[in-house]
This record gives sequence, C-alpha cells and structure tokens, in this order.
Amino acid sequence: MIGASDVVALTKEDEYSQAIPDPWALPEEFSIPLHPLADSNPWAKTAYAKFTKDFILISEFSEQVGPQPLLTIPDNPKVCGTFDLNYFSLRIMSVDYQASFVGHPPGSGYPRLSFVEDSRVVLGDSKEGAFAYVHHLTLYDLEARGFVRPFCMAYVATEEKKIMLQFQELSLRFSQASECLKAGNRRAFAKELQRKLRDLEYTHSVLQREEGLQREAGPQCIYSAHTVEKANELANVEKSIFEHRDLLRQISSYHHRPRRDPHAAACNKCVTECWSECEELLERYAKLASPFCFNEEERRTEEGQHQFDEEGVERLDEGDDTSVKRRLSYTPQLIKAKSTKCFDKRLKTLQELCDSTFYEATVELLKETERSFRGDLCYMHTRRLEKSLCRKQRVTNFLFEEEVGDDDEEKETLRPFCAVNHTRDTFPLSNPPPIVLGTELLEFDQLEPSPPPVRSSTVRHTQDSELGLVESHFESSPSDQTLETQESSEETKGSFSSDKSGTCAAAEAQHDNSSDLTPDPDPERESSSEEVETTAGGEEGDQTPVSFLDVMCELEALQENGSEGQTQPLLLPIDTACCIPQEGFLYESEAQICLTPKSPQPCQISVVNQEPQSLFPLPDDYTMGTPCLQNPAAGLELPVGSLGDGVSHTSAEDGSDCTISTSTGSDSTALSLGYGGVVTLRQRKKAGHGALRFVRQYPFAMQALWCLLSGRTLVVLGADEGRVRRLVSALALFVPGPGKYGEKVQAWLSCSITLTDLQRWKLIGLQRVASPVGSNMLYSLSRYSRYISVLDADQRTLRCPPYRGHLLTNIADHRTFIRRGATYFLHVQSTLCHLAARAFLFTFTHHLHLPVCSTEGPEVVEGRRRCFLQKQLELGEEDSQILLYLSQLITQHYLHTSTGHTDAAPLFSFKYSTSLLYKHRP
Amino acid sequence: MSSSCQPQSPAVAKSEVVVEGECPLLAATFAYWDNILGPRVRHIWTPKGDQVMFLSDGEVTFLANHTLNGEILRSAECGAIDVKFFVLAEKGVIIVSLIFDGELKGDKNTCALSIILPQTELAFYLPLHAICVLRLKHVIRRGRIWMQKGYNIISVLSLEIVSIMELLASMKTHSVPEEIDITDSVLNDDDIGDSCREDFLHKAISSHLQTCGSSIVVGSNPEKVNKIVRTLCLFLTPVERKCSRLCRSGSSFKYDTGLFVQGLLKDSTGSFVLPFRQVLYAPYPTTHIDVDINTVKQMPPCHEHSYNQRRYMRSELSALWKTDSEEEIAPDSVLHTDQAFTPDLNIFQDVLHQDTLVKSFIDEVFMLRPGMSLRSSYLAQFLLLLHRKALTLLKYIEDETQKGKTPFRSLRNLKTDLDLKEEGDLNIIMAMAEKLRAGLHSFVFGKPLYTSMQERDVLATF
Repeated sequence: MIGASDVVALTKEDEYSQAIPDPWALPEEFSIPLHPLADSNPWAKTAYAKFTKDFILISEFSEQVGPQPLLTIPDNPKVCGTFDLNYFSLRIMSVDYQASFVGHPPGSGYPRLSFVEDSRVVLGDSKEGAFAYVHHLTLYDLEARGFVRPFCMAYVATEEKKIMLQFQELSLRFSQASECLKAGNRRAFAKELQRKLRDLEYTHSVLQREEGLQREAGPQCIYSAHTVEKANELANVEKSIFEHRDLLRQISSYHHRPRRDPHAAACNKCVTECWSECEELLERYAKLASPFCFNEEERRTEEGQHQFDEEGVERLDEGDDTSVKRRLSYTPQLIKAKSTKCFDKRLKTLQELCDSTFYEATVELLKETERSFRGDLCYMHTRRLEKSLCRKQRVTNFLFEEEVGDDDEEKETLRPFCAVNHTRDTFPLSNPPPIVLGTELLEFDQLEPSPPPVRSSTVRHTQDSELGLVESHFESSPSDQTLETQESSEETKGSFSSDKSGTCAAAEAQHDNSSDLTPDPDPERESSSEEVETTAGGEEGDQTPVSFLDVMCELEALQENGSEGQTQPLLLPIDTACCIPQEGFLYESEAQICLTPKSPQPCQISVVNQEPQSLFPLPDDYTMGTPCLQNPAAGLELPVGSLGDGVSHTSAEDGSDCTISTSTGSDSTALSLGYGGVVTLRQRKKAGHGALRFVRQYPFAMQALWCLLSGRTLVVLGADEGRVRRLVSALALFVPGPGKYGEKVQAWLSCSITLTDLQRWKLIGLQRVASPVGSNMLYSLSRYSRYISVLDADQRTLRCPPYRGHLLTNIADHRTFIRRGATYFLHVQSTLCHLAARAFLFTFTHHLHLPVCSTEGPEVVEGRRRCFLQKQLELGEEDSQILLYLSQLITQHYLHTSTGHTDAAPLFSFKYSTSLLYKHRP
Repeated sequence: MSSSCQPQSPAVAKSEVVVEGECPLLAATFAYWDNILGPRVRHIWTPKGDQVMFLSDGEVTFLANHTLNGEILRSAECGAIDVKFFVLAEKGVIIVSLIFDGELKGDKNTCALSIILPQTELAFYLPLHAICVLRLKHVIRRGRIWMQKGYNIISVLSLEIVSIMELLASMKTHSVPEEIDITDSVLNDDDIGDSCREDFLHKAISSHLQTCGSSIVVGSNPEKVNKIVRTLCLFLTPVERKCSRLCRSGSSFKYDTGLFVQGLLKDSTGSFVLPFRQVLYAPYPTTHIDVDINTVKQMPPCHEHSYNQRRYMRSELSALWKTDSEEEIAPDSVLHTDQAFTPDLNIFQDVLHQDTLVKSFIDEVFMLRPGMSLRSSYLAQFLLLLHRKALTLLKYIEDETQKGKTPFRSLRNLKTDLDLKEEGDLNIIMAMAEKLRAGLHSFVFGKPLYTSMQERDVLATF
C-alpha cells in the first residue's frame, strides 16, 4: 500500500513546490518574462501573427454597416491569411479622430462641410500580433450623413518597430495618397452638386408650374390643401437650392482655408485645378440669379448653349452647325419630396466618390508604397545607412558601390511626383519632415513599367510617367546591343574620336547608329516610341514634350546638372596635393597610361612601338587554326618596370591600328552586364549565387579574383553561351569600377579580341568556335596571353600568374560554410568595401607620395610607398598589386572628376610575370 | 482647439512640475475607462515654465479621453501594455498613450497613461519615442501592482513623468546634432596622442562599439567630456545621435536611462554617482569612460545584461508586491528588501577583448591629413564596413539556423568565414547585429545565465 508520504517522496521537488503556490509570489501578469520570445528566436516577431507579409488595408466607417474593410494591397487573400480584417477594421476605425462638428452648427442657416485634417495613428493589437499605421481621412458625399464618409488607409505589419522607425516616410506616402483621393473626391463632389442643382432647378420649375396651374384653377384667395402642400414643397426646394449652392461655395473655398497639418503633402496643381473647376461651377450657378423662372423653354435654351461630356461636365458649344451632334448625358430628374430611407439607399463606392483618375492613381501609389516598405526592417535599415554613408565617400564609390545620387535626388525619389504625376515642383511642403529611417528608395529597377494611371481629358499630365518610359526603354532595348557595344564598334572601326561619357550622348549615339548596327530595327521599339509621341498630352497649356528622346534628354540633363552639383562640392575639401604628384609617380613606376584620346600628353610620351612575343605556349585550343594578323606591323613594345610590371603606353590611334577590323564588341550577340541599363543591386545579388558557386567549384577561384582585382583582364572562354555568361555575371562582382552600365564587362563576344578590347574590358566572355573565325580568335588570345588571364570554362582551367597573398583568402575559400549566395554577396561586399577603404587610405596619405625634401628622389618615395604597403598594411607582393591598382583607379577617377569629366578613361596595365595553368581536378 | 471641451466635473487633479528650460511636453495624463461614465481623466501633469503651446485643462481632458476611444474593444493579453501613437493635425498635437489594465476601486479598468506634445515636435520626439515608452512601460508595471493593492498610482507615475519631462527639456538644449563635424572630435587631432592617449582612445571606441554604442562619459572638464561624446557619436547613426546628450557645464544632468551617449560632469568632490538601477535598465550594456583618469570599463555583453536586467526588474516588482504599506517605496530600495536577490553591483568590468577593426582604424585614420574631408570619408568607409559585416553575420546565422528554428552551433565557422577571429571584432559586430535583431546574443550564446566567456568556451568546442 502506498501512503501519502510515499507519493510525496516520489514527486519531483519542483512539481511539489509548484503545487502549493506562494501567496507572496508575484503573479505572472504583474511580472515580466525572464526569457522573452526574442531571446529564444530573434526572427520570431510575434507568436500570434496570423499573416506573414505586410499589407495595406483601406477601410470605411459605413453609416449603414459600420466599419468594414474595402480593399487590401496586395489584393490577394493569401496575404492576410486567417487575419480577421473585419475585426481589425472595427478596431482601427473605432477611434474618434475627427472630433469636429459636422452638420448644422448652432446659429448657422446652412449645413457646413467640415474640413478636417487627416489624423495619423499607430496602434496595435498585441493579441493578434498586428500593428498598423492608420491614416484617417474624410471624403465628401452628398448622400452621406453630414456629407462625410470616414475612411482610413492602414499599413499593417507584424512589427511595431518597423512602423515607428519609418513613421515619417509612411506618413508622407499616405498623406500623398490621401491628398490625391481628396482632390478627386472634391471634383466628384462638385460634379455631384452640379447635378443636384440641375435636378433641383428642374424640380423647382415643375413645381412652380404645377402650383401656378393649381392656383389659377382654384377660386381666388382660397388655397386648397394641395396647393399649400405644393407651395411648401416649392419652398423646400428653394431652400435646398440655396443650401446646395452654399455647399458648392464651401467646396470652392477649400483651398483658401489655412492648413493646420504641417505634414500634409498636397499637390498645388491638383488643388488649383479642382478649385478652378469649382469656381467655374460656382460662377455658373451664381449667375442663375432667378432659378425660379426656370421653365422648359429656358431649359431647352440652356441645353442649346451647353453640351455635356460623358462625365456630365459641361462644355461650351462649339457652334450651331454641330448642334446635331449634341447629346445630353445627364438629364435633370424630378426630385421627389420624400427621399429614400437611409438604409434603402446604396452608398457610393470609393471609386464613385473619387474621380477615377485620382482613384487609380492613389491605388497605384499605395501599391508602390507597399512594395517599397516590403521586407525585413534590418535590411531596409542597413540599406538606408549604406546609402547615407556612401554619399560621404564618393571618391571610392565607383569601385564597387552602386551609383548614389545626391541629397536632392533622394528627396525627389522619395516623393517624385504627385499621385497623378504632376511635376514635383508643385509640392509646397513647407516643413518637410526629416527622415528618421527610410525605405529603400525608388529605383528604376524597382519601378514596374506601368503606364500612367489614366490619361484623362480633365487632368493635365505633364511628363506622363517619365519613369515608366525610361523603364520601358530599358526593357525594350535589344538586349544584345548595349551602349558600350556600339561605342566599341564605332571606335574600332574608325577612331577614338570622342569620349562619350554622358549617358545622354550614349543614348543619342544609340539612336543615331541603330541603323548601322541593326539593319532590321526592332519594330516594337519604334512603335512604342511612336505611341509615346502620339499620346503626348495635348491639353491646353501643356506643351511638355514627352517623346522618347525628349524624355531621355531631359532626364540626362537632370543627371548632368545633378552630377555637376555633386562633384563641385566634393572636390573642394579634399586635398589634391597627394593625387597630382602621385599621378607622376604612379605612372612612372607602373608605367600606366590612360587611353584617352583627348589627353595626348602622357600617351604621346609613352607610346609603345613593338609587341612582345608570347613567352609561353597556350593550350591547344588557343592555337588552333591559322593565325591571322592583319596588321603585323602594329606591334607593341612594352617597357618593363623596375618591379617587373610592364605597362603599355599607347594611344588610341595605336590601338586602332592593331585592331582587326572584324573584331570589336559590335557583334550582335555581345552583351554587357547591365543589359543596356544600370547594373542594379538586385542583379548583383543574383550574381552572388553564381560567385559562390564559382568559389566552391573552382579551386583556383582565388587566382581568378586576384586577376580581376589587380586589373588584369580575365577572359572566360567557352562554347556554351549560357555558361560563359553566368560565369561572367558572377565574376563581374569583382571587377573594380565596372561602370554604371557594366561597361568594363563584356559578357559574350564571338570574335577575336583586340588590344582595344583589353583596354576597354576587364572581363570578357569569349565564344569558342571551331572555324576560321575561331582560329583568329584563339590566335588573338595567344597573342595577348601575356597580358591576360584565361579561364577556360569547358576544360576548367585557368592560366594566370600565381597569387600567394592572403587578402582574398576570405572571399575565395572553397571550404566556406556560407550557404547562400545572398549571404556570400554581403560578405563580398564588406570585403570589397574594406579593400576600397585601404586603397583610399593609400591614395590619400600625403606623405607617402610626396617627397619630404627637395633632394628626395622618386625612388625614395617609391620605397616609402612599398614600405607602407608591406609594413603598415602587411601586404605581400600580389596583395599590394591589388591596392596599387585600386589606388590608380581612384586617382584617375578623382582627377577626371575634378576636371569636370564624368567618366574616367580606363587604365591599361600589363604585368610581365610567368603565368601558370591551374586545372580543376574533380 | 474646440471651445466645446469643458472641464470635467469634479475637477481633475493636476500637478504642475517645475522644469528647467523649455519643456516640449504639453501635458501628461492618466485616464481610465469608467464602466459607467466612460473615459475619465484622473490626473494631469503639466510642466511649469516656458512653453511653446498652451493647452487648457479642458483640452487636455478631451485629448486624454480621446486616447481611450475604441479601447472598449481591447482584448489584449493580461498584463499587456499597448502603445498608441496619435498625430492629430486637427488639434496640432502628438499623443503617446500606453494602454493597460488596472484595478481601480475593485473593478478592472482599461487605463491610459499619455503624454502630449505639440505636433511641431514630431521630428524631435520620434527618435526618443523608444526611450520614453521603455521607461513608461516599467513605471506602469509598478503602478499596476500599486493599483492592485488599492494604493494611489499617481505617486508612482509622478516619479517617471517628472523624469521624462526633464529628459525632454534637457534634450531640447543639449542633444547631439544629427550631423557632427569631425573637427569637433578627437579624430581631427593632428596626431593620435594630442588629445588623449592612443590606447585610451582605441579602448574607448572599441568598448563603445561593443556595447552597442551605449556609453557614458564622465569628467571634470565639460569641453573634454563633450569632445569625447562627439567622437563616440561619430560612430552612431544619425538617429542614435539624436538620442545622445552633451554634458552641461556648471551642473551636471542626472543619468538618463536609454540615451546612447551622455556626458556627465563630476561634482566638486570629483565623483559622479551612477544609479545602479537606471544603468541596469538601459536597453543595452553601457561603457563607462572617465576622461580624467583615462579609464574605460564596460558592462557584460547584451545577453548577460538583458538577463541581469530582467532579474532585477522581477525582483523589484516582487518587492513591491510584498510591500504592505502605501508609503513611497524608492525604486532603488529593492536591493535591501529582496533577500533572495543579490545583484552583482560591480557591473562595470575592464575591457578584456582586443580587436583589430578599431585598432587599425585608429592607427590609419590619423595618417590622413586633418581639416579636410579625408578623415570623414575614411570614417564613413569604416562604418560602412561595420554595418555590412553586421548584416552579413546576421544573414549567416539566419541561414545556419533557418531563421532561428534550429540552435546555432557553428560559432567557430562563423568566425573563420567572416574573418572575425579576434574576440573584440566579434563583439563589435555582434553588438551591431544585436541592434538590428534584438535577442541575437541570447540566441547565439545560449543560456543567458552563463557568462559570455563560459558560453563561448562551450561553443568553441563544437
């Protein structure tokens, strides 16, 4: 038999102790958890959230059914999961945010419209795990109680922190959307008032006639009950006319009222347009001084003077001869004395409450807002910080960073246009809020090529969807014809006549030369261009050219202006003392030169005359076929530097002399990395996958990366285009200063490479073909093998000089435990950032590059530089080459920028050192 | 403001708080939902002094009631404190309300503790929002216990309301600007040892970064203190700088929980007494820098700090629960009342871990010529590197653990792959990642009751 004491003895101590609660113990509801959820899993935002992605919810406080959800963005039921939208709408709409009087104020004869400012609320439902930024607004509806319909737009997320940290951006975006809706609503409201007034006037005339007939029919001085009723009815209609006129007057005065909301983002143009329309209406109805004389004849007369468009907006008649075409879309209705009951009538939908143009524009804006706030907060936060930090280091950004606009550009992209695409200068935000934490700013790649919301005849769309046009241009441009390719073609055929650095110039060149490059131009592209021109706004007063070229040029002009503005202040604070002499030192020792046609001084000094012979044999593939050198006289002699580095000092003319005429990147299959557009972060992230795979699969990845980072051109040779392109795309991450459009990278080339190509491209994908053309191509490889590295994608070999450094071990370790390409990309980014910082330090450390005293010669300075690299930065020979190359690029870029050039001419450097063949052994 | 807002009857109790300088706070209110009368305001606190905007009692009452609208639907977890944030352009005010359940006169009521500011202070307030909410939340926890016992909550709330008014007033005049000119910092010195010793500067910045950018700088000379404050703030984000405060000459501010960097002036005896409780309640561990004697001390890393903090909070609340007198209980007296909890008062320790990141940065930045933007650019590059490394580390752990679904067991691999072999480097990057993803330290370093050293020893064996 088991006694009680035994049971107790078998019970675990803690369980037993829990069985008798301590009366003095603090109840859990008053305490805090010792181990919160975030400690066990920092990624678990909340245990209760029933949805996974943020969304936007539009709700209404319906006077018939109470709070109800109307729309979610994205409009996909999966987004909300099992989250109860009805309940949440009830929660967010139950805040009495207006607190302003609506209806007849005491002592006022007419109903008043309440012009309330929007309210913004952040609230949450901790039980549901949902938090929301809620933007309350009021729309006007003639049929609604108090003429107002309360709505709210909510950004619903699972993280409260995300909303609070981005409160100001959210507020700004939703203010824009709200102002857009309200502008559309005021127009719709004015139109509704117009219709109502016409109805009332018509009713009044009918009643007046009926009453007159009754009065005439009855005996003098005796009024029947029916007559009295008619008279009262008439009086009511008259009163109603006055009331509605007053409402029209009130809505016209909307923009005159002082705004109490310093954060309202109203578009002046929208407000002005709406106001002018209302004023017009007001004027028209004010002129009907005696509406009570309105009769059928007059009505007919009036109809003869006006015509109505589909939306009931009156237009002046164009002439009598067109009277046959007149049509009346809205016929005044007789208003019954007793209106329908509140719950019988159908409330207008949100679309009906707003002008369709504005409604659609608002929805587009909200979609864009949802997209831009999508994602994890920590990534958005870091991205934002990165952009602000990159702005402070413009000198080195070109190396590995994305193009970063200046502050003005940021402001523009944050609020580029009003929702209906009015130009940005119409925003009068007097007190723009400082940004606490921003979203990922709008980028070209992020904007979907959506057409402008609606091209309404009533709204002037200046510069309709400029961004959309640009985007469509980028997408519609033939993928294999890049700006770079065409430039290359032009230059290699003729001469290096000009340095087309500006994008506008490049775009023009593309336009001008398209017939040369593509005999059969893309009909789609032409038609789209035409379409844009024909759909240019021909509205009154809107003469904005919106043809494709115009838009491009305008954009480029903006960019140019911006770049001018940004380079000027950039140059002031940095001392050029270390750069200018450095140029001399650098080029003396490394014997490097810019291949810039218009800067002949250094080029002329150091033109090389003879091309050295290949010192080592190439693999069989490289030497197959008959070597064909069209201009054998154009040999080059490369001087050997003190450190074994040889640099070709050549001119553009020299380059063109030795160019095989059929070469160049003008082949239609050639494609630069950016597909003709800006190389975006998204593309680079995708390339991270390929890069990680490359590092894992190729044991000699480190050597390949070193080649790229030290400025040695890497040729990826292969028969399979897709494979080569993928490799090039992956390796392009490591090309210093690849250019905004990836100009330094040629993803696919199916003809022989030339010296010019080597100077132009640092990474080339080359097609292996078994034909005479192929033999030429391989011969060219053999010819330049001393100066390039060749990665054979088919045989998995790499021929390049050996690398024994340690700087790259961390990003090229095939045993890495990094699992995902995106993570690897981040890792590469931070490593490259570190490299750029060191190169910056090396470049701008004055005492390294300047002689301490007049007796000090260049070799002493050179020694000091070497010492710095070896002792201070602890870099070996090969690692130093990376730093030196990056430093040269920085110097060159900096000097070019300071002299007003937007783009630096590429460096052309050779290194005389024995190459080794690395093989992959599976 | 609407004229229809009449003061409630009976008149609402009101306290006027004397605050030095301009207090941006218009009022603070405590309201509750009366089950018969609806929303009612129980108490109003207003600052007495220079104010940009004035709200009448009726207006304050109206706004306070407003905060409780819709809360009849409240279905929060028991003990939850929800935050509502209003920007009412119509009224030109911001209201921050903390909604909670409390027992008043034997009934469960929904209550709201609110602070009201002018809308024009939105940009000023937003960076400080998290600090205010953090502090108000804890005082509400204390207040709820007080209410449960039938005592007057107002006296408990008053302590923190006054403190927040003082904080906001001090930030109005002494907050660190969003953009700092590097010439105002030590980084503009011609050489590394001009203002302070090289190892001191290195240690200060390194520890500052290891403690998530949270530091207190004490000293006798306000200029010297502020120079270090500005230097440390260079390593913060613009928003974090707005949550930092310079030292006031003459008389020092008191220590304020939650600020990132704050300069504090020693008194005439050459000492500054730090309140243990407040320092422990800071969201991140803190670095203590004494510019007079060039010492740098730091608190344990995030997960230990968080664990100690929570233990202390629980003890404090338990002590309150056990109190059987309404007499004011000073927050710090918990140490003496709770026999079961003996906190380690020696929370500041020497900086043990060396790093290479800050060391090389300090060594190198002084090679660049001062007075130009070179050093600023180099600093930006350094910060960019840190932020990127932090994000990479976060992503690495995210991949390894499938977003926290499995425990993290590969610290050694992480250190190798991400080149964070030095303990100090790892600490810095982990601290930056912690700010991005709260709870990361606890997740990575496992059981929080272990010290970081013990835990890492264990993990390193994997």
